[in-house]
Amino acid sequence: MLTYILRRIGLAGLMLFGLVCLTFVIANIAPSDPAALAAGPDAGRSQIEQARREYGLDRPLHEQFLRYVSDLARLEFGRSIATGRPVGADLARYFPATLELCIVAMIIGLVLGVPLGMLSALHKDGPIDHFTRIFAVTGVALPPFWFGLLLQLAFAAWLGWLPTSGRLSVFTEPLEPITGLLLVDSLLRGNGGMFLEAASYIALPALVLSFPCLAQILRVNRSEMVEALRADYIVAARAHGVRPWRLVVVHALKNAMLPTLAIIGLRWGWMISSTVLVETVFDWPGTGLYAVSSAIAGDFKPVMGVTLIVGLNFMIANLLVDLLYGVLDPRLRSA
Amino acid sequence: MTNGVTRRSFLQGAAALGALAPFSSVAFERDGSRKILVFTGNQAVPVLDPHWRYDWSTRMIQQSVYDGLLKYVGTPPRIIPWLAEKYEASADGKTYTFTLVRNARFHNGDPVDAEAVRFSFERALKMNAGVAWMLKDFLKPENIVAVDAHTVRFTLDRPFAPFITYVPWWYIVNPKQVMANQVDGDLGKKWLTDNDAGSGPFKLRRFDPTALIHMDAVPDYWNGWPMGEAKRLSGVIYRIIRESAPRKAALQRREVDVMAGVTPDDFGQMERMPGVKMANFPGFTSFGIKFNCQVGPTADVNVRKAIAYAFDYDAVLAIHNGMAELMTSPFPTPITGHIAVPGIPRRDMDKAKEFLKKSAHPDGGFELEYVHVQGLEDPRRIGLSLLDSLRALNIKVNIVAQPWPTMTARAGKPETAPNMMSVYVTPVGTDPDTVAYQYHRNSWGLYYGVSHYENPAIWKLIGEARGETDEKKRMEMYAEIQRGIVADQPEIFCMMANRIWGLRDYVKDFEYSPVRSTSEVDFYPMWIDA
Repeated sequence: MLTYILRRIGLAGLMLFGLVCLTFVIANIAPSDPAALAAGPDAGRSQIEQARREYGLDRPLHEQFLRYVSDLARLEFGRSIATGRPVGADLARYFPATLELCIVAMIIGLVLGVPLGMLSALHKDGPIDHFTRIFAVTGVALPPFWFGLLLQLAFAAWLGWLPTSGRLSVFTEPLEPITGLLLVDSLLRGNGGMFLEAASYIALPALVLSFPCLAQILRVNRSEMVEALRADYIVAARAHGVRPWRLVVVHALKNAMLPTLAIIGLRWGWMISSTVLVETVFDWPGTGLYAVSSAIAGDFKPVMGVTLIVGLNFMIANLLVDLLYGVLDPRLRSA
Repeated sequence: MTNGVTRRSFLQGAAALGALAPFSSVAFERDGSRKILVFTGNQAVPVLDPHWRYDWSTRMIQQSVYDGLLKYVGTPPRIIPWLAEKYEASADGKTYTFTLVRNARFHNGDPVDAEAVRFSFERALKMNAGVAWMLKDFLKPENIVAVDAHTVRFTLDRPFAPFITYVPWWYIVNPKQVMANQVDGDLGKKWLTDNDAGSGPFKLRRFDPTALIHMDAVPDYWNGWPMGEAKRLSGVIYRIIRESAPRKAALQRREVDVMAGVTPDDFGQMERMPGVKMANFPGFTSFGIKFNCQVGPTADVNVRKAIAYAFDYDAVLAIHNGMAELMTSPFPTPITGHIAVPGIPRRDMDKAKEFLKKSAHPDGGFELEYVHVQGLEDPRRIGLSLLDSLRALNIKVNIVAQPWPTMTARAGKPETAPNMMSVYVTPVGTDPDTVAYQYHRNSWGLYYGVSHYENPAIWKLIGEARGETDEKKRMEMYAEIQRGIVADQPEIFCMMANRIWGLRDYVKDFEYSPVRSTSEVDFYPMWIDA
């Protein structure tokens, strides 16, 4: 088991290096001049050249790459050209917001997706099943930014139930972070008012972010449940007089959850990357928004930093899912 | 319990949602008897250091936190005394002596003295970023002298007529605070990124560069409050909302009091919103389609003229719902010395065909690339109109959207510059040199010099005019420059779009000055009456 884990971690490291190479190449073949942007809109040639020297952009590409990799090895992500701030510090500041958003979205996806999947399986080809099918197809098909704008219009502009964007009201002084997750921090500090406020702000973006994931969990869970409910052991259990709810929840659901778990692992990575759109629409101050604003400014160090974070999340999530499989499925434990 | 959702459970759900509502519906926040004004725009403020960086959103905050020696106000823009109560220029146009007001204080209580002014100009010149380009070819740090505590003398290397029109953008920082926070000889650059060392009407309270900036009004501001101490705001929040739909929603819900970045298409809809009034003013930012004057078919002035005559100027106005003004010169109207150049092209297909006949491609039959900023709708639509117009000349147009960093990189060389590139340019001052110099050889390769326009006679005139001290003679030179540039047609001189904001009707004394950039406003005179 240990060698398996070590091998997986080694492989993840290699993949990460590949990702570093790829992002560096993409950032540098893009025909843009970050120095000109750093120097400002009306800057003359001498200011642009100075900015180029200051950020080491005048060095040959291989030298820039070596420096970038050696910085990364020391866990330094370089400096943003637009702000001069270290990218590592920015990532540490913005990532908790993204993490919080994704966790809430994942919870929504699970809490709604699993029971709805179960319901549709139990009512296969009935009206509920058709309804959730339409719901799921829409969920996968709706572009998140468009869906986000739509919800904003409905819940914020028309109904006025929820705020339009941001993480907290602009008038609320933020807490000194403990975990960086506002919902958790406000509870830890016993600030119920702020918890509710944070919840009202996270509701819409988390819902939008959860939608594709919810839809996929729903569909996978449904088909696995349909499969499981037909299995011999269920028939046997039913013949033994096991109560229906126990049959469904304990026997069928546990077996149907395995592929759902794989979906969660996969979706986690996608979710972190789709924050790019959702955070822009809702001005959610996370890494997605950070990546977008940096990309628009031709500021590639932050973009590379975020790419690495997204890649790392994919890898860690997949690794965890593999390990969890072993826990849930005794047959895999010995393998 | 046959219906699934009972009336009771529905009401419970609605009540649960309603419980969240108090956190979402806000009007202007009260701070005691005072109000906080919330302004929203789409652009972040990455760096607050006034000598490092400026753009519209950044300078709006800089102007609030810092003071300059002079200040731009009103329409047409006037320069009024600020930290300097007066200045004198020597007859040879080389020496400027500023006398400072005596009561100005930095936010930490230190007096604003001549040394602070000297230090600030020196710092900006040494950093060679941000505003430095305006003066660095004419002013050496050692030629700025604090004569006494309230007098500063600038001696320029040679006469530079636009000098005074640039001074308002050079903000004064507190040298003691800056040097106390210096790291590795960086002149306080790192610290000033998100800290304030100013004397302006507002001081920084919270700086979150991607989300919001909160400033408190300075209670005993040295220059007083125009609305009176009783009515002044408690502070201002700049809230960044990137997409236009949520910005509108926030204004409608009174989450914000002023919204920047209203498009002409939004205008009609917003005008009908109850409690919202519109601020709609003629712009100062010129939109032009710059030709590549060195490489490709547009290197031929006859082709350029043909395109300029074929272009549908009325379509541009229609795209902006009439909220734009056509350019009558290379200079925007509020620029000193602007003339309406006689014979500046308007749509005339006969003339267009006539010019094309004189070119190397009398029957057209070539394709031109039109590049515009990705994501901007108006330039794309103008491109479509151009495509339509040029079909009559048998010229194809390939409309290409590119990110701004790519466009600036392409502008670097004539070989990479597109045949046509649409560019918005906002002059930083009202002096004619600010615009004229964009057509000088020294501007080649910068985004506004993407044309690589060549006319040594005009270049010489531009060079001479900036040093001319006789105002009348100088304006004659600029009239000639405007006529000369129009004759060479390095670009299609298009239009200046109106600048539009949406305001809640209780926001008072919103003062427009075209010289401010894009969506930039001056918070100092504003207050809330409600």
